[in-house]
Amino acid sequence: MSKPATMRQMPQIAHVDVNCFYASAERAFDPSLEGKPVVVLSNNDGCAVTRSPEAKALGIPLGEPWFKLAPRAREWGLVALSSNYELYGDISARVMELLGRYSAWLEVYSIDEAFLGVKGTPEELLDLGRTTKAAVRRNVGVPVCVGIAGTKTLAKLANKWAKNNPAFDGVCHWDSVPAADRESLMRRLSVIEIWGVASRLTKRLNGLGIHSILDLSRADPVMIRDRFSVVMMRTVLELQGTPCIPMEEERIGRDQLIFSRSFATPITTAAGMRQVMSVYGQQASARLAKHGLQAKVLTAFAGTSHFNPKDTSYPSVCVPLPMPTADPVLLTRAAHAFLPHINEGIRYARAGIMVTDLRPTGNQAPLSLFENPHEERHVGTLLEDVTRRYGRGSIGLGHAGIRGGPDWTMKRDMLSPRYTTHWDELPLVKAA
Amino acid sequence: MGVVVGPRVIDAGMSLLSVLISPVPVAAGYPSPAQDYFDGRIDLNEHLIKDITSTYVVRVSGDSMEGAGISDGDELIVNRALEPKDGSVVIAVLDGELTIKRLRITGSGVVLQAENPAYPDIRVPSVSDLVIWGVATRCLHHV
Ligand SMILES: [Mg+2]
Repeated sequence: MSKPATMRQMPQIAHVDVNCFYASAERAFDPSLEGKPVVVLSNNDGCAVTRSPEAKALGIPLGEPWFKLAPRAREWGLVALSSNYELYGDISARVMELLGRYSAWLEVYSIDEAFLGVKGTPEELLDLGRTTKAAVRRNVGVPVCVGIAGTKTLAKLANKWAKNNPAFDGVCHWDSVPAADRESLMRRLSVIEIWGVASRLTKRLNGLGIHSILDLSRADPVMIRDRFSVVMMRTVLELQGTPCIPMEEERIGRDQLIFSRSFATPITTAAGMRQVMSVYGQQASARLAKHGLQAKVLTAFAGTSHFNPKDTSYPSVCVPLPMPTADPVLLTRAAHAFLPHINEGIRYARAGIMVTDLRPTGNQAPLSLFENPHEERHVGTLLEDVTRRYGRGSIGLGHAGIRGGPDWTMKRDMLSPRYTTHWDELPLVKAA
Repeated sequence: MGVVVGPRVIDAGMSLLSVLISPVPVAAGYPSPAQDYFDGRIDLNEHLIKDITSTYVVRVSGDSMEGAGISDGDELIVNRALEPKDGSVVIAVLDGELTIKRLRITGSGVVLQAENPAYPDIRVPSVSDLVIWGVATRCLHHV
């Protein structure tokens, strides 16, 4: 069954994802970790949030607490590292900026994932996937896999396949794979393996005879909408090849919060971008406070529109925060550090921020567990006004709980150097 | 090709690259169109870094490159986007360590040379037998 040429030229979506990102970022600067089992631990050295393939092969489950791993670490030759979010944030920013060179349309989805709009024949698409993969590896230093398909959901599935099946060599173009192979993959995979299906819904889906991804792809979208939700219906439609998942403006990951959106009217001035960044700073503050969290690292990014491929620009920058915080003023100020990186006159069609290095609010109780009165009462804006008028330090927040406990409360015994953001922690190269 | 690459105004204290710029902190202001032809204060990022996304700064430990003017404690600007050529000063991965050497590509094979007679050459059949981490473009030598 050959499709007409115009069909093959339909725009497609490439999903690029860094392989075990945190461990790969560490390896980029410490090649002695290559080939060894590596786990990166969550804040406070709690549990394994990233495992290298060697660590997975040891049977270490994701989320395994360090105290259970520690007694066997020596026997396994297991290397455990504290999470170094400044390093990960900077590497993430570099990956995104580089990916922007390969597509006129890019959406940052998470700290290590992006969707790219791509176009071309199947051969050209595979070629683009391989070029992109090689460029990120070479220029930034981390390995990625690429999945290319007609929808985001299928592109993510193709990426997962590329990661797990060495035959793809890291790049899978869904439509180029024989239909029978695609079907057998979808039959093998449980429905919870697909992006967008919450595991708590598995039972109800199973009750309707939907067990595999293939079952779900053959379900009636309208029935799914009526029994579940529009969200689930979109997943079904995407599995059937109809792109319909919009980018959520707020995304909550295991260890990151992302706020991003595209603009109906492009932003062309630093003043406009300043406003957008202020909004994100406030949103991040409110969300962090709601979850009783503080952040230590912020990444800000922006991108141009695919309607204007002439002036593409995907600036991205990692901003270490002076202290763990959920403070709207500090978050907004950090987001504003992005402004010098945008070019006046360029038409930015999307922008966002990501906060990482999240930890529970410090020892002191926050003013409120479930809301941020600071935000509700516009204290942030007031503080900003006063600070602008009378200078920094002229006014501060009266309760230390908002700004959080000192950093020494964090246990980070196995922290690698912040190789790319601190002059006194640069990687050492041996001249011997 | 319209890709915006390379340095713009860097906020002092924000990135490691700010260390490279003039001692007067650059205000976190906006790049204005006027900057396109304003040729006042020198921005070292602009002159020393061609592709900021692909560039890392590393610090030298040891004296094996003295002959190339690269001393213990010096910082190097390393561009990972560059293709290593005969004569390049490269960072190679040797025994799991980032190691600085002069790359020589000859008809009879590939050699990693120290620039200090106290250290022996390392010979390999071809460049593909090496893991080249990056190509050094500048040495920030402490005088
Ligand atoms: Mg990943």
